[in-house]
Amino acid sequence: MDQSAIKVRDLSVSYGSTPVLVAVHLTVPVGAGVCVTGENGIGKSTLLRCVASLQRADAGEIRVFGRPPGSTPEFWRAVVTTVEPPTWYPGLTAREHAELVCRAHGLDPAAAGLDETLERFGIAGHADAIPPSLSSGQKQRLTLALSLLRPSRLLILDEPEQRLDPEGRAMVAGLLRDYLAAGGTVLMASHDDAFAAAAGTGMVSMADLHAVAAP
Amino acid sequence: MTAPVAVAGIRRWVRRTQSAHRDGRETLGNVYFAALFVLIVGGMVHKQIAAVVWPGTPNASLLAGGSLVLIITGGLYLTLRRLGPLALSRPAASWLLTAPVSRRRLLLPSLWVALLGAAVAGAVGGLAVLGHVAARPVPGADALLPLVGALLGGALLLVALGAQADRWWSAWSDNAAYLLIAVGLAGLVVDSAVGAPRADQGWPAEPVVTTLAGALAVVVIVLLLLAVRRLAATPNERIMEAAKTSGTLFDSAYGMEPSFVTEMVERRYWARRKLRSRRLWRRVPVLVAQDLLLLRRRPRRLLWVAAATTLPAALLADAPGWLLGLAVLIGGLMAGGVTAGTIRTDAGNPMLLRLLGLSSRTAISQRLWVPGVLCGLWYAATLGLLQGLGDLPAGPWWALGLALGPVGAAATMRKSRVGFVDNGLTPVDTPMGSLSTGPLINAVAGLDVLLLGLPTIVQLAQGGPLSWTGVVVQAAVAVIGARAYLSATTEPDRVELSGKR
Repeated sequence: MDQSAIKVRDLSVSYGSTPVLVAVHLTVPVGAGVCVTGENGIGKSTLLRCVASLQRADAGEIRVFGRPPGSTPEFWRAVVTTVEPPTWYPGLTAREHAELVCRAHGLDPAAAGLDETLERFGIAGHADAIPPSLSSGQKQRLTLALSLLRPSRLLILDEPEQRLDPEGRAMVAGLLRDYLAAGGTVLMASHDDAFAAAAGTGMVSMADLHAVAAP
Repeated sequence: MTAPVAVAGIRRWVRRTQSAHRDGRETLGNVYFAALFVLIVGGMVHKQIAAVVWPGTPNASLLAGGSLVLIITGGLYLTLRRLGPLALSRPAASWLLTAPVSRRRLLLPSLWVALLGAAVAGAVGGLAVLGHVAARPVPGADALLPLVGALLGGALLLVALGAQADRWWSAWSDNAAYLLIAVGLAGLVVDSAVGAPRADQGWPAEPVVTTLAGALAVVVIVLLLLAVRRLAATPNERIMEAAKTSGTLFDSAYGMEPSFVTEMVERRYWARRKLRSRRLWRRVPVLVAQDLLLLRRRPRRLLWVAAATTLPAALLADAPGWLLGLAVLIGGLMAGGVTAGTIRTDAGNPMLLRLLGLSSRTAISQRLWVPGVLCGLWYAATLGLLQGLGDLPAGPWWALGLALGPVGAAATMRKSRVGFVDNGLTPVDTPMGSLSTGPLINAVAGLDVLLLGLPTIVQLAQGGPLSWTGVVVQAAVAVIGARAYLSATTEPDRVELSGKR
C-alpha cells in the first residue's frame, strides 16, 4: 500500500515564458515533515500552491493521499493550508472565527481546547478583536491557531515563521513537532533553517527537487 | 526646521509636471468623451429628470412636502458626513498633508468645492419640493425656495465639517439626521393614509421664504467664518479617511465596480464597533448561527429595514400594480442583504470555507435561512401595511409575503455571489454607442432571480382579491425556484462557491 501523503512527479509550471518549476519530483511519506528551502522566486510557493490544488500545473502529476488534489470537502477536511491568506468574516471576532471552525468540524470548542490554543498563540487578549484590526503578526498567529485547532492529516504552510517574534517561532515550531508526533504530515516552505529543525521537519532544497529523478 | 512653502506653487508644479507626461490628444479625447457622455445621457433622461424635479402639476400635499424636506435634509447631511465632507485627493493626502505647507491654504479649495456641491444639491432639493407642492403659477419671491435649499445645503456642510473634527458631535449629529429621515418617512406614510390637503395658491408665503433665506444666510456666514478659522485644526486622520473615501468612489466609478464601496463601508462599520465574543447558538447549523450573530450585531440596520417596509406604501401606493410588485420584490433585497457580507466574503476568497471544510451546497443551503426569514417577514409586513392602508384588495397578503421569502433569499445569494465586474466581456453595440456587458450583468444579478416572484406581480397587476390558491402557487414557485438555484449553482463535492476553478 502506498504510504505517501504527497507524491509529485515531473511537475512543470511556467509564468508566461519563464519556467518556474521544471520536472519537479517530491515524495512526502505519511507522518513526515518536509521543509522546502531556497532563495526567493525559485518556486517554493508555486509548488505548495500546486500541491494544495490552488494552482494548475502545466504538466506533471500530483497525488495527495493517493488522489489528485481537488476542491472536494473531503480534501479540505484532510488538508489545511496557509498558502493564501484568508479574508475574514465581517462582524466576527477572533474567538468567534475559532469557534466557527471548531463547530464546522463537529468539535465542541471547549473540548477542542479553543481558549488554551488562543492563549498559547498569545492572542487570548485580542479574542474580542475583529481580525482585520490585528497586527500582521497577530493575524499570522490567528491563522495558524485556526489551522491547528481543527482536525487534519496534512498541513501545507508557506513560511509559517513569517512575521512572528522569536518566542512565537519557538511556540509554532513546538506545535508542528507535536502535530508530526501525532501522525500528521507537514509540507512547508521556509527561509529559517533553525525553525525547520525545531519543528522536526527534514529540509530539502528546491534546487535539488528539480534534479531528483523519479524512482 | 524646514520653512513653510506656498502650497499654490507646489500644486502648480504638480499640474505642470503631470500635463508634461500626458499626451495632449489623450487629454482632449478624455474631455471629448466626458462631454459626449454628459450630452448623450442628458439627452436621454432630461425629460425624466425634469418630471422628477418639476412635474407639470403639483402632485404632493403640504405634509408630503414637509416630509420630503426632512428626508432631503437628513439624507444630504449623512451623505456629506460619509464623504468627509472635507477631502483631498489621495496623492495630495499622502504628499501635501505631511508637507510644510499652510494647512488652511491646502484645505480651502476643498472647502469651496464641497460648499458648492452641497449648495447645488440643496438647491435641487428645494426646487423639487417647490415643484411637487406649490400650486402653479409660482409667483416671484415665493420661488426663492431653491435659494433656501442652497443655503440649507451650505449650512449642513459647515455643520458636517464641525462634526468631522469631533467624534462626539459626529455621532450625535448623525443620530439626529437619522431621526429626521425617520420622521420624514413617517410623514409620507401618514400622508399616504389620510390624503393630507394640497398647498393653497401662494405657498410658500413670501415673508416666510425671505425670513428663512435671511436667517440661513446669517447662519452660513457665521459658520463659514468659524470653519475657515478652524480649518487647519481638522484632524489628519479624518482627512486621510475622507481621501480614501473619495479615492474609492473614483475607483468604483472608473472601474464601474460598486463592490469597492460596499466593502469600504462594511470595513469601516466593523472597525468602529467594539464587540464582545459570544457563543454561537448550538441548536442551529453552524453558518445559520453565524448569520444570526451578525444579525444581532446590526440592530440599527434592522430598524432601517423595518422602517423601509413603509416606503412602497409611502411612495408607490398609486403606482400601477406591476410597478408596485416589482418595487416590493426589489425592496426585499435590502432585508436579505443584512447578513450578505458573509456570502460576499466566501465568494471573494474561499480560504475560510476551505478551512471550515463545508461543501458549497451545505454552505449556501445554510446561508439561505436567515435572508429567507428576513425577506419573508419584510414582504409580509410591506404587503400587510399596503393592505392595511387600503391600497390592496382583500386577501391573505401577509401570507403571500411569507411565501416570497425563498425568492428574496435566492436573489440575495445570487447578488452577493456575483463577484467583481468582468470587464473582459464583449461590449454590445447599440445606436447610442457601445455598452459594456460586465457591469450590466452585475447590475441585474439577483434581479433575474426575482422573476420567481412573477405570480405576485401578476396578482398585483390584475388588482383582484388574493385567494389562498394564489398564495400556494407563489409558495410552490418560490420553493421550487430556490431549490433549483441551489442545485444549479452548488455541488455537494465542491467547496468553492464559484464553479470556475
